[in-house]
Amino acid sequence: MPEGLTLLGHGIAHFLTWEALFNLAWASLLGIVIGALPGLTATMGVALLVTLTYKMPPDQAILCLMALYVGAIYGGSRSAILLAIPGTPASAATTLDGYPLARAGKAGMAMGIATTSSALGTLVGIFFLALIAPWLAEFALRFGSYEFFWLALFGVLISGRLTAIEDPLKGYIAGILGLLAAMIGMEGLHAFQRFTFGVGALGGGIDLIPAMVGAFGFAEILAVMKRRFTAELVTSDDRVVPRLADITRYWRTTIRSGIVGTIAGIIPGVGEDIGAWASYAAARRASKEADQFGKGSVEGLVAAETGNSAVIPGAMIPTLTLALPGSAAAAVLIAAMFIHGIRPGPLLMTENPAFLYQIVGILLLTTIAITIFGLSLTKLLVRVLLVPREKLMPVVYVLCVVGSFAITQRMFDVYVMIAFGLIGFVLREMRYPMAPLVLGIVLGDLLDVNLRRGLLLSDGDVTPFFTRPISAVLFAITAVTILMSLPMVSRRVTDLFKRLDPQRRAG
Amino acid sequence: MTDPSADPQTERRMNRVDLITGGVFAVLGLAIVYLSWTMPRLEMRGIHPATVPGLVPGLLGLALAFCGVVLSLKAYRDGRGAGDWSDLLALFRSAEAGRFCAVAGLALVYALVLVGLLPFWLASAAFVFAFIVVFEVWLSPQPRPLLRSALWAAVQGVLVGVAVTLVFQYGFLVRLP
Repeated sequence: MPEGLTLLGHGIAHFLTWEALFNLAWASLLGIVIGALPGLTATMGVALLVTLTYKMPPDQAILCLMALYVGAIYGGSRSAILLAIPGTPASAATTLDGYPLARAGKAGMAMGIATTSSALGTLVGIFFLALIAPWLAEFALRFGSYEFFWLALFGVLISGRLTAIEDPLKGYIAGILGLLAAMIGMEGLHAFQRFTFGVGALGGGIDLIPAMVGAFGFAEILAVMKRRFTAELVTSDDRVVPRLADITRYWRTTIRSGIVGTIAGIIPGVGEDIGAWASYAAARRASKEADQFGKGSVEGLVAAETGNSAVIPGAMIPTLTLALPGSAAAAVLIAAMFIHGIRPGPLLMTENPAFLYQIVGILLLTTIAITIFGLSLTKLLVRVLLVPREKLMPVVYVLCVVGSFAITQRMFDVYVMIAFGLIGFVLREMRYPMAPLVLGIVLGDLLDVNLRRGLLLSDGDVTPFFTRPISAVLFAITAVTILMSLPMVSRRVTDLFKRLDPQRRAG
Repeated sequence: MTDPSADPQTERRMNRVDLITGGVFAVLGLAIVYLSWTMPRLEMRGIHPATVPGLVPGLLGLALAFCGVVLSLKAYRDGRGAGDWSDLLALFRSAEAGRFCAVAGLALVYALVLVGLLPFWLASAAFVFAFIVVFEVWLSPQPRPLLRSALWAAVQGVLVGVAVTLVFQYGFLVRLP
């Protein structure tokens, strides 16, 4: 523990330089602006910023990316409150109570509460990140090929299951498509080129950054510009800085939402939006004023904003310790870490233990930055919301093109971006979630290599995949995930629980 | 998590879309299974037969085909007697489809034709200019006068084209196409 605290102190002190503080300031402010603008998401912002930071030293580059990520998730609350349009999907739950509060002349109060709740949510998540990540990294050292295979499969499946609640089948299909995309190019065991069809550029496989810029950038531009809408800005001149009593009144909700958000972050590929909705639902169930939810409840706003912000540190837990992205933006962060020579995974705590605490330091400093910006730059951020999308989107698309091109300087990556943009748009219109697709691309190689390496080690015998203790647990969780997504099975399990719980049956 | 299922027309449309895409995924999955099966097994290199390169793609292809069939069957079962295909076809004639075609067309012409043909700054300026004018003058619910829109679009286009080119070419030393 004392060693951990020392490393944490170093992690924070590492970024207390003028250069780091300058990078922190611009990146978190840019993040807030990106988050506030409907149509620009955190994942898109992080993916585009990778291209602008790849010449920076690794620690500064990761600082900028993390600060932008945290800023964007928070920034989404601005448009959710003032326009009733979530700036990012993470703020969809914020709209429910934030906008009614703004209409009731309490826009300032809503923005203030959203700011402090986001900060507190991140702090709760940071606490668990510092607590769980070192332990999990140590535990993951026991994982072999068999366990990593199940982990990769479980990651894609659970992401598909939880991001497509209405129809898990579509989540699974999106995940399989992502895994198949990862099969293109040279495979990791025998260096054989698969599905290249004679196209030389495909030999290296699909790069994650152009694919993400397409699926979250170009696809978003298509979706935003397709719709015809005129949003009505609602604002007021009431006090933005909340009173201490306003913040502490819902301390139970804050802690609960922080924990729920962190758990949502830990689950692979389940992002901030699910964290916010889950916290919101949990808060409504436990609240004495449940009838006020959706009509301008401060508690609802606290739950949504705490929940989505706590997902970020939560998502960093599997990202850093298992190289399993906890959210779509975390998938881009993994790619960025590899570009900068940082290898996330179980060996991180052995090879580079200071890095984990640097991430904690970055998150703490960014929390302070977004609180300062959020409470002081109200007028500027309202002006940002007035930028028309007709003027903004072409600029974003130019950045998508040049950003995809910049890393390896070949037009092929621009074509990948366009292809993923069009496919991503069509899939999204058909209600396929994007997170499992991305997770599939990231985890495809892990799944492929570890399945075949495991079979090689066992001389073609599949039993170790089911009999090794950790493997057996991971297999059981994976099987339950699939079975519970079958309506027939989930109905029977629900009936069984109702029979066991007479109170619920009466309800 | 807004529930878009409230609109019955959208639901009917989605049902037809699922029916078609389920079939597409099934065919795609089977094609991948075939390609994986016929993939070289590298016997010459003496690799273990359980580690052939086509193993995982083949299994994934099977999974995709299975999910596609289930999706189609579910859509067929849910959509029996739900009317004809006119709802789906109407989608392609909507105003939204027009706006989508405009964005996609402009974006593709810019990235696939203009970039490489013209200097990057000029290609970007032309794209930004065309995008703004199209969406402010012709495809807007409140159209702006052409001349005014074109003037400001040209200014923004040149500024964006020059700024992006300078930043990437001289700031990040990227040799732009």
